[in-house]
Amino acid sequence: MKYILLMSGTKGGVDHYQAWSQKEVQAHMAVLHSINKRLSESGEFVATQGLAELKEAKVVRGEKNGIPVTDGVFPESKEFLLGYWIIDVATAERAYAIAGQISAAPGPGGVPTNMPIEVRRFATFEQSGSK
Amino acid sequence: MKYILMMNTMKAGQGIPNWAGKDLQAHIAFMMNLNKDLRDSGELVSAEGLSFPDQARLVRAGKNGVPITDGVFPESKEFLAGFWIIDVDTPERAYAIAARASAAPGPGGAPLNMPIEVRPVMSAPPPEMM
Repeated sequence: MKYILLMSGTKGGVDHYQAWSQKEVQAHMAVLHSINKRLSESGEFVATQGLAELKEAKVVRGEKNGIPVTDGVFPESKEFLLGYWIIDVATAERAYAIAGQISAAPGPGGVPTNMPIEVRRFATFEQSGSK
Repeated sequence: MKYILMMNTMKAGQGIPNWAGKDLQAHIAFMMNLNKDLRDSGELVSAEGLSFPDQARLVRAGKNGVPITDGVFPESKEFLAGFWIIDVDTPERAYAIAARASAAPGPGGAPLNMPIEVRPVMSAPPPEMM
């Protein structure tokens, strides 16, 4: 079963992260890389990506004739997707365990961030377009 | 440049399970056609629909990294219903594809005009973070 693990945060959280020391960022990234490496070794890794800065985000709606109308304005309080992992695991519990490891990645002073990670299973009732 | 197009809905499926069979078929046919065009143009990286929010869990690490799961969500929260990852030459092309997805037909064949969030995907963490 494929799951996507969604790491979201607010603008305030991103501003806070940008104030971390380089050493703290490196320690955080080292744990995430280690998780990715273990998932690759266990054959559960499908994909992971971080998303670029919020200022590059746009919301698009199709108007008449499908012409895109873009809007770059977001309320300060909205949660944004920061990054995700796609994993292929045998059970939901395994997906939760991996999300728990990600949530426990260290933040400032090496303290776990305990970030909430949203776990969503891929639907199987309609088309799947993945290569 | 890689982009992710995120299709969010308010609450569970925005009533999609209650659509008439014909409307649902037209919607899915539209999405499959969009995916086929993106595959043919070499711009599709992946496209997935997500299961309904009743199966969603929010996980935090407890002591010793033991996962603590929470399935309760406020009704007002927006949920990711599905996404496309595309590889295109310009942001404008990403917006054009998002607009096409936004115009997918709903009940009675009327375009849904769903908002689609468009975000560039980072190629890799900056070297100083590695």
